[in-house]
Amino acid sequence: MDSSNKKTIYISPVTRIEGHAKISIQLDENGEVYDALFHVNEFRGFEKFCQDRMYTEMPTITPRICGICPTSHSLASVKACEMIQGIQPTYTANLLRRLMHISQNLSSHALSFFHLSSPDFLLGYDSDPAKRNILGIAQEFPDIALRGIRLRKFGQEISERITGKKIHIMGIVPGGMAFPLTEENRKYLLEYIPEAIATVQLGINMIKSFHEKNKEMVESFATSPTLYLGTVGPDGGHELYDGKLRFINEEGIILQDQIDPSRYLEFIAERSVSWSYLKYPYYKPYGFEKGVYRVGPLARLNVATRMKTPLAQKEFEEFKKIGGGKPVHGTFYYHYTRLIEALGDVEIAEQILNDSEVTSSHIQHHGRWNYAEGIGSSEAPRGTLFHHYKTDETGKLVNVNLLIATGQNNPSMNRSVLEVAKQYVKGSNIEEGMLNRVESTIRCYDPCLSCSTHAIGNMPMEIEIFDSKGKTVKRVVRN
Amino acid sequence: MQNITIYIDDKKLEVESGKTILEVCRNNNIEILTMCHLEGVLDVGACRLCLVEIEGVNKLLSACTTKVAANMVIRTSTERIKRYQRITTELLFAERNHMCSVCVANGKCELQNLGYKVEMDSIRYPRLFPQCEVDTSHSWYVLDHNRCIMCTRCVRVCSEVEGAFNWSVKNRGYQVRIISDFNTPWGESTTCTSCGKCLHACPTGALWPKAIVQGQLDKKPEIIEELMAKRKMGL
Ligand code: SF4
Ligand code: SF4
Ligand code: FES
Repeated sequence: MDSSNKKTIYISPVTRIEGHAKISIQLDENGEVYDALFHVNEFRGFEKFCQDRMYTEMPTITPRICGICPTSHSLASVKACEMIQGIQPTYTANLLRRLMHISQNLSSHALSFFHLSSPDFLLGYDSDPAKRNILGIAQEFPDIALRGIRLRKFGQEISERITGKKIHIMGIVPGGMAFPLTEENRKYLLEYIPEAIATVQLGINMIKSFHEKNKEMVESFATSPTLYLGTVGPDGGHELYDGKLRFINEEGIILQDQIDPSRYLEFIAERSVSWSYLKYPYYKPYGFEKGVYRVGPLARLNVATRMKTPLAQKEFEEFKKIGGGKPVHGTFYYHYTRLIEALGDVEIAEQILNDSEVTSSHIQHHGRWNYAEGIGSSEAPRGTLFHHYKTDETGKLVNVNLLIATGQNNPSMNRSVLEVAKQYVKGSNIEEGMLNRVESTIRCYDPCLSCSTHAIGNMPMEIEIFDSKGKTVKRVVRN
Repeated sequence: MQNITIYIDDKKLEVESGKTILEVCRNNNIEILTMCHLEGVLDVGACRLCLVEIEGVNKLLSACTTKVAANMVIRTSTERIKRYQRITTELLFAERNHMCSVCVANGKCELQNLGYKVEMDSIRYPRLFPQCEVDTSHSWYVLDHNRCIMCTRCVRVCSEVEGAFNWSVKNRGYQVRIISDFNTPWGESTTCTSCGKCLHACPTGALWPKAIVQGQLDKKPEIIEELMAKRKMGL
């Protein structure tokens, strides 16, 4: 094809995802979508500037990578530190860490669903962009907006009640936790549970009725099959905090099971690409082209054999029916799986808060540098996360590798964008609803790019169409 | 000791001669900001935060090293002094690499508290961003030059209290650095007794124990004074 006839549409910045991104859609001479790219321009250099510092500083430094999933970074980091020290956290510390993780997962999922995505479901993709945000929801559906905000608050409250901080937690330390949970705080948190369950169930009903009304769109929305990676318990149960890795293929066949996260490099390789600072990870045995895998809620539910709690299990069984025994590939189902996880989170929080050991003061084991290398992983809201540290004999970091969730979803995000673009974007004629669907694809993955900014709704959007010579043929600015 | 009359911030005071302005102010609940001063060791007047105005003297003098004299008229909180305190604080931050949010001393740091105290909402001077070493060679402790403010409290505690003379200072100006022994890694020191007093004396996150992470730092600079008091009593 003659490249001089191609046009490129840029959608930038992608609104309502955390961070900055740019999507470009390339058209061929017939105005058909030829290619689509999701650019990631942010690079924060954490791996580099952590070098030459003490490995024990990593649990403090790395949560700063992301304002939404600091706990996952903290957990992966302390686990890597514990491997270096050769110690395990105490029983109570494990309970509190699970609570902390649930805290973050709930706030993140509540933010993703109620604040960022629900405007599309409730107000419609083609509604006025100035109103298609949480403020618009607050106007039209004040009850739902309020419940969403309170669910997020519950998430933050757990962390605050344990460590005294809502975000950028301190208190998850190698060997355990720095602060115990008081009886008063335990009781306080327990009282929140029924409301939190009701809110998540409300969300589940919302998404299900959307699925029903928009069956065709949901089922055809970025459905190309990929492999999946997620953490599972010893029996293949859904797991967020601690477990082993499982890879499945497009058909749901288990490729690898019960793999210790410290072996991640045997199964995951990374390649840098020219258009993005994010590295492109792939399933090593299949190579770069065929090894595209996804992580995150959809992946975790696809790989899991069961959920650990009754309400979530019931919903999980319904979810499994969608795939008819095979993995669910439809990107739209990220939302549904996010909510099933949130439901399980609240139920597990209740179990933990009722554990008689949760308020014990035996919260930390102490260790010191023993081994040169440490690898830790955890399931961030957006997917499996790996921290890998190499140290010298004084504990100074000589090498740091961080494999973040959004990075792992990056190859399939690109693929999904291309698919949706092919389906909905025709020619250089820009219609609000169409481009918003491309954005929505990205939003399904809930990517955190540099994670520092939360654009809400009516963030200005600039769309430019370039011809092959880089000349702007059309420019639309949305305020 | 003979009693003399002095005036601090328009207050008439009868005080013992031979005391420093800082001692007198602290005894009379008059606030003076300090950083290099540490109860229990000698003063060196390094940080310039305790500056006061003395009538008849053109330049500002450091309260920790200036002794009171009869009929001295001292001012501790004029606009000029406040301006200098703010400048000094900003320069302390600008000189090395202070990233409080990820620092082990976050929330328990004298320098950070000073920043709040002088209402430092920004640093008006270009930061130097020097390349600083982190010395992790000691089995238990870390010296992070990124956060050192050259107050030399560690140097004085090590020599005056512990008697080990491990710490000293090399270079001048912005290249000045704390050194262990003969400018060798701390872990190779033949003088350090690993007593940990310098960690307690250090006002920032420059000296800290390897065993802890942010939120767990527990510095007790007051133990130096208690130790010296006991020693004076022959205990
Ligand atoms: S030493 Fe104090 S001022 Fe410096 S980074 Fe640490 S907390 Fe901040
Ligand atoms: S290491 Fe600490 S005590 Fe020593 S000079 Fe630096 S800041 Fe002061
Ligand atoms: S306290 Fe007086 S100069 Fe530092």
